[in-house]
Amino acid sequence: MSDSAPAAPKWGSVEMLPMSARFNSAVREAAATRLANLDGAWQDIVFARQFELFSRADAEAVEQAVLDTGYRFQSSATASLRDEPHKYKQPERAAAGFSEGELSDGRRQVGVGDNVIRKSATVVGPVALISQIEQVMAYLADGVPPGTIAVIDDSGGTLTAPILEGFAGVICLGGTIRSHLGILAREYDVPTLMNCRIDALRDGDTVEIEVTIAPPAADAYETGDTGHARIWKIESGG
Amino acid sequence: MAELDYKTLLESNSYLRNLSDTTYWLCITRTVQESKLFPMNPYMLLSYLNSFYTLPTLLREIDAALPAEELGDRAREVSLKVNTVNAAWAMPTFYLLGREMLMNWGLLRPTDAVEDVVDVLDFSRRFNLAYHRNDAHVSNKEFGDRSQFLPERTLQVLEADLHGVNPGDRLHSAAVKLLAQLSQYAFLAHCECRIGLHNSGPYNFGENRQMIVRDFFELTEGDYPWLDGIATRLPFPNLTIPLVFRNTNFHLMDDWASFEAEPSYDAANIVAVGMYTSDALSDGYLPVGMDNADALAETMEAYREILNEATADLWKRIATWTREQMIDAGALVYSSVVKDFAHVAGTYRQDDWLLLDDRVQRFKPLMNDEYGRDNLAELVGLLGLPQQKANEYTMARYSGLNQHTLTGIPYSVLVDNDYAPTCGDALSGATSLEVKTGLWSTTAGRLELDEFNRRAREFRPAVLAEPYRFLDEEWVKWHHNDPRADELYRLGQRGSRNLADRGAGLRRADLPRAD
Repeated sequence: MSDSAPAAPKWGSVEMLPMSARFNSAVREAAATRLANLDGAWQDIVFARQFELFSRADAEAVEQAVLDTGYRFQSSATASLRDEPHKYKQPERAAAGFSEGELSDGRRQVGVGDNVIRKSATVVGPVALISQIEQVMAYLADGVPPGTIAVIDDSGGTLTAPILEGFAGVICLGGTIRSHLGILAREYDVPTLMNCRIDALRDGDTVEIEVTIAPPAADAYETGDTGHARIWKIESGG
Repeated sequence: MAELDYKTLLESNSYLRNLSDTTYWLCITRTVQESKLFPMNPYMLLSYLNSFYTLPTLLREIDAALPAEELGDRAREVSLKVNTVNAAWAMPTFYLLGREMLMNWGLLRPTDAVEDVVDVLDFSRRFNLAYHRNDAHVSNKEFGDRSQFLPERTLQVLEADLHGVNPGDRLHSAAVKLLAQLSQYAFLAHCECRIGLHNSGPYNFGENRQMIVRDFFELTEGDYPWLDGIATRLPFPNLTIPLVFRNTNFHLMDDWASFEAEPSYDAANIVAVGMYTSDALSDGYLPVGMDNADALAETMEAYREILNEATADLWKRIATWTREQMIDAGALVYSSVVKDFAHVAGTYRQDDWLLLDDRVQRFKPLMNDEYGRDNLAELVGLLGLPQQKANEYTMARYSGLNQHTLTGIPYSVLVDNDYAPTCGDALSGATSLEVKTGLWSTTAGRLELDEFNRRAREFRPAVLAEPYRFLDEEWVKWHHNDPRADELYRLGQRGSRNLADRGAGLRRADLPRAD
């Protein structure tokens, strides 16, 4: 029989988040069980027999054990949902992150965010909700209609890479002004609000984004002093 | 290979703790990026594991061919991709994060691979000290979030040769648009991560002006197979754009090579701009389009057009990738973060850097988006992995909590022998991506790999040859009238529009003004 697994670390017990706790505990258990059944000293097993200690089949078993309970993973990349739909929850319509305000002067506040570049005037335009590769492909082929304000739930710079500079404005439902999309918005001088919380918007809604507000302070994301730029929906008759 | 003794372990653990503290600060304050296009969290975790298994072997070969200190000298003189974010921070950190993951899983103990850990840290420290020789710090954090790599002879050439701009003029617009396009393209070519971009400085240019140096890497055919056929009209693989700002203080230039400024970075405050290129084969910075302002504007406009088209071409290619291809590409981009050490040393092999090791492939079934997100959050944000906790009296830097991102090496390795000293040097891996078929774009033209390696092995920059290598700024201070100082400065002034052959005696007042 080999050396036994060492005691758990003295000052820590288990991970803080459920999925990492579940998977990491399962891997630890699998490795400990394998070790107990291997002959030899630890130093002769750890690298020389590492595939006996933990193999691809063991990893597949860890994943399958969770899937067998009926659980489906949360996705973040669209390719994950596309390629492995059986493993992931279908995305739910996001709950409104903002309660719409009262109608005033033909507009109703529907959200807040953090401004990237201070401009001398707000920006008004029709909304396009963009979250899929196919949508970006279509805009790449046909062009972005002038005046379009994109609503994007990706703070990265790659999903909309070939079309970003064509937007009149961007509402990003995540990230910070330092996210890649925020960096690119500044470089391209595209009026952009990051870290937005909005009430439901639909394609074609006309919105106004308050890019006249100062960007957040350098420590705003540590102090929580964010969300000062407003987003309004322009309603007919206003 | 570094000696395994008490002094070495003390230094290694101190260096490791500083990396741990800096990494925590960066991840907590500087925004860890996510993406809807790329499964970033899974690929980041896999890259750390790939670094653990492959980096020590590759670094030992590189160090034997060209020591880390000399690699630091090279990286200090021009803009190489082995820079602040990639070599100084990412290389040792990714390796150590892979180690944390394996320890957490019970597949490694903190004493295992001690020779590998010590060698990686030793290489990293020697590289960083040489890279930072002119500011005499070991990291940007240790310098108070600043980097000043360049010597006076280079800075004077930049100050004299950069072209003055005003908002609205052709060159100003061309520069701003090219910078945007380069940033966009670099994120895409690097699977959403920022290792294709680099910023350094600031440098005091007097009269409330500061210069920062912005670098962009891997712009066309080279190591990444997905860039075969992309941006092939671009004559150079890398571009360096120094910018002089008025009335702007770049108060932070962190170890991710990103900056903060007060007031915020505003292109309207750019008063001078230039463009250069450099790589493993260039003897210093090579000016690009620098003859006059119109030539520079025209060159920048042309490059922007090439990269705009390349962005669309590359995006369409990536849009066809499977999830596994996106993960392989991202993991390899991250774990190959110091492949340019091999290019400089002339030891580069494609399979060394662009294959995901077999020992890593076995963990792929764990890497769904949710586990990737949560485990990365535990690893670098929450520090929730059990072994990241320290004794209850501990108050770690920045957090004040009893936790550290990275685990030190137990000193018991000096007296116990129940550990395996190295993970081994046999490398074997695979990739789901297409095999590379194109050439390598360099400042010496487009080359086959064997030729690139041969030229790299034979090349040494003039300023690092005898007798100049150890004639630093402190020596210049006392010997600026020495003929060797003039020779050294003239080497740095080659290709300068305004300072060619002017020598070592110039002060700022002697330089032509750009604005």
